[in-house]
Amino acid sequence: MIVWLAIICAGILTFAARFLTLSPLMPKTLPIWLQLAMKFVPVSVLTAIIVPAIFISPETGTLIIQDNLRIGAAIIAIIVAYYTRSTVATIISGLCVIWLLTFWQ
Amino acid sequence: MFSGKNKGALSEFLAGIKDGLPLQLAVIPFGIVFGMVGLEAGLTPLQTFFMSSILFGGASQIVFTQLYATGTPFTILVTTVSAVNLRHILYGLVMSEYLRHLPLYWRILLGYLLTDEAFAISHLRFTQKHSSDAMHYHLLGSGLILWSCWQISTLIGIIAGPTIPDNFQLGFAVPLTFIAVVIPSLTHFPQIFAGVSSGTAALIFQFLPFNLWIIISAICGIIAGTASSYLMDSRDTKTEEKP
Repeated sequence: MIVWLAIICAGILTFAARFLTLSPLMPKTLPIWLQLAMKFVPVSVLTAIIVPAIFISPETGTLIIQDNLRIGAAIIAIIVAYYTRSTVATIISGLCVIWLLTFWQ
Repeated sequence: MFSGKNKGALSEFLAGIKDGLPLQLAVIPFGIVFGMVGLEAGLTPLQTFFMSSILFGGASQIVFTQLYATGTPFTILVTTVSAVNLRHILYGLVMSEYLRHLPLYWRILLGYLLTDEAFAISHLRFTQKHSSDAMHYHLLGSGLILWSCWQISTLIGIIAGPTIPDNFQLGFAVPLTFIAVVIPSLTHFPQIFAGVSSGTAALIFQFLPFNLWIIISAICGIIAGTASSYLMDSRDTKTEEKP
């Protein structure tokens, strides 16, 4: 029962975060500096998710540089993303590289 | 007149679905991973399945199962999971520019569907030169295709999860999706500087509790990008010797 309550509470708070700035409480126009700052929201938020997903071990929560297969796969994916600008090519190349490296070992 | 408007809405809706489709290549493995770890953490199949529609946020759902598995107290669990989704405030802020004029029920629906992926895809559309009155249908399309795939893949994970080996590393598809979105947007120095600052901060602030490093690193990146583009603008106007 407590699990359902936790799911529903977290769901309400998540919806609140998504809806808050779309709600009628928001002012009609935004200051220039805020409009400029908003251009950097996607790259900043997504990079903050990408970098730890590559360098931080999901098991121990510590930084891993040596024997980290995800670094090589991420570098290939970045190169593919830069030259092809294709989402499908980026995901497939990154996954293929990590599978190759995993089964190579 | 009227049919022309509906036609515009339909074509935006279909464009949203079409633009969102490539990203499902990462959403589906992510959903399967979530279905698997939900059961492993000790949630029931029903709790795992309905979390995908009640919470509807991949990273936060994974965090939920991790915290649940380690017996985290109720209040810390709920605040941490919500903290992971704090970034959506920023998405809403960006989107409000394009969605503010819509009726309330539209904004409630689109707010519910506003995920990382749908935001990234439809923000690209909204910032294109030719804007239209029916642009919000693009977000509806990209949001609904993601929502459907997320529910179906969660179900697949719950049913088939135990048969998929761990070393497939399906969770790695998540950062790969974001790489595919971020890299093409790094066209100017301030964008690159924002990314580098945010990524570095994300490693430095790992020690913070409640996954607070996500929102703090994002703010670092935003400040770095905004400040550097301000400085570059003022330098440019000086060299051009404008009054």
